[in-house]
Amino acid sequence: MYRYDEFDHKFVAERAAEFRDQVRRRLAGHLTEAEFKPLRLMNGLYLQLHAYMLRVAIPYGTLGSRQMRQLAMIAEKWDRGYGHFTTRQNIQFNWPKLKDVPDIIDALAEVEMHAIQTSGNCIRNTTSDPFSAVAPEEVEDPRITAELIRQWSSLHPEFTFLGRKFKIAVTGSEEDRTALKLHDIGVQVVKRDGEVGYRVMVGGGMGRTPMIAKELRDFVPRQELLPYLEAALRVYNLHGRRDNKYKARIKILVHELGIDAYREQVEAEFASMDREAIAAPAEEVERIRAYFQPPKLSERASESPLIERMKSADPSFAKWIERNTFPHKIPGYVAATVSLKPIGGAPGDATAEQMRVIADLAEIYSRDEMRVTHEQNIVLPHVAIDDLYRLYKGLSGIGLDAPNKGLVTDIIACPGLDYCALATARSIPVAQRIAERFADNDRQAAIGPLQIKISGCINACGHHHVGHIGILGLDKAGVESYQITLGGDATETAALGERTGPGFSYDEVPEVIETIIDTYLDLREHPRETFLQAYRRTGMAPFKEALYAAA
Amino acid sequence: MAKAFEPAVITANDLVEGTAVFLTPEGWSADVSKAMVALTPEQAEEFDALGQRHVQENVVVEPYRVVVLLDSGKPVPKLRREQIRAAGAPTFAYGKAA
Repeated sequence: MYRYDEFDHKFVAERAAEFRDQVRRRLAGHLTEAEFKPLRLMNGLYLQLHAYMLRVAIPYGTLGSRQMRQLAMIAEKWDRGYGHFTTRQNIQFNWPKLKDVPDIIDALAEVEMHAIQTSGNCIRNTTSDPFSAVAPEEVEDPRITAELIRQWSSLHPEFTFLGRKFKIAVTGSEEDRTALKLHDIGVQVVKRDGEVGYRVMVGGGMGRTPMIAKELRDFVPRQELLPYLEAALRVYNLHGRRDNKYKARIKILVHELGIDAYREQVEAEFASMDREAIAAPAEEVERIRAYFQPPKLSERASESPLIERMKSADPSFAKWIERNTFPHKIPGYVAATVSLKPIGGAPGDATAEQMRVIADLAEIYSRDEMRVTHEQNIVLPHVAIDDLYRLYKGLSGIGLDAPNKGLVTDIIACPGLDYCALATARSIPVAQRIAERFADNDRQAAIGPLQIKISGCINACGHHHVGHIGILGLDKAGVESYQITLGGDATETAALGERTGPGFSYDEVPEVIETIIDTYLDLREHPRETFLQAYRRTGMAPFKEALYAAA
Repeated sequence: MAKAFEPAVITANDLVEGTAVFLTPEGWSADVSKAMVALTPEQAEEFDALGQRHVQENVVVEPYRVVVLLDSGKPVPKLRREQIRAAGAPTFAYGKAA
């Protein structure tokens, strides 16, 4: 894992001290709210529906046990005993008091964390693949590149006041687990003729105008990535429409100029700039790379007689292994997904106690490492197959053993109207009621892979556009109304969902989801044809008929 | 035609705590039922001004009007968003292990 060097420590400590002074001046009345608001936002502090909310960056979703325990301590000492892991691989605390925030920021700095650039029109936390350094087909660990981008983009003087926020994701695999094509820029580590470089995608995004990213360059040599990104952002920033925030994201620019014209301008900028001055020095890249040396895992037998016995003895454990583990590039190991979607829970929430137990289990069984996923779960990346039963028992003791990864109850949901000042409808209770309806594990397994994603407003933090079933909560004359989309896909075969038709009331949603799923079960050609495959084969018609014909 | 005036209360967030508060005759309270209800546009403007003064005095931030219905004389927010906000908590049991 990356560790701060002296520069990083100094930078974060200075910012913490600066913000402490700003809070002091605000509380003393020397700064007005109008003066203070942009300052607090630059430090990740929002004012939400009920209270302040602090969004803490988890770079590329990677956390160590010491950091997770500190988050648990913060939740207990200064919040209400829990935190919310987000679709941006961050964590949010929902109830901090302004007077305590400087202490929270100091506590974060102690474990090399901060809340800088988690808000505002700047380059946000760079996200990455939760199976980095695990996935067998990975070209290289994408976090080396993500860390490089983190350093380049932190307080970048030219890109601190962009027209709008800017989100970058990096993957090292062809199989995409980062929603790469739904980012302002998506960087894919690729290999061409033996040389490692990057494929760069641009102009993806969700929100009120969802778009799938287009390819900007099929290959950027490794040492030219930062200059290339700088050229791409510079062209965007210079065009930057600061008159209309709904047209200010890069996806609108790329759409309006056309990818070819945008590319031409980027290439012209790239050709004329001093690339060497911008590129990271080779020794710095090597310093970063050294932190991401894969853990020294000695190969083990990929079959464990102990685990096979326990699977026969404990069918729930067998189901959990089947759903929640992912093959590791080193034989004898897997990555295990800790589902933060227990039936009846709030998607992505974890109590301080749960955080501590996950941290302890990661320390014992996963080389002290965890990953937050954009699907709002936690991955323990390096678990020996022999240890899986002990890990599973540890998780089941705190209600985190749901065998539902990728299934119908593994729902993404934004905080919605229960927390968010922008929301137009509730999302978490909708997720809970759907999950309760499909709680039976055998039924979930029979339905197979199915992603439901719920947003409580058009800003789409809950990724509804790319849910196999997407749910968007709106306000219709003071009443919550939910639009349903089908066929969305966040992966390398990205697609935007298509609306079924008129929306449904809050109370109707679980029944509507059941109708959609029953329709799928009736029309699938065989049990292995997934919901998405079936939808792509049949299109909207049978679903539409099932939902609306009777009315 | 101008929209008919609807009774309203003034809400804001407490500067230090961040929590939702309502303007009452005794200052700010988390309890919406204690809020002063503006029954005329003139009263609402008067309360707005009071809210703004407390912003200047660094007591609260971001005050605004919330339309209310009167239930036995006590104000209840009309919109669901404001009902959730006035309740001071999400509509489900939050922060517990499921």
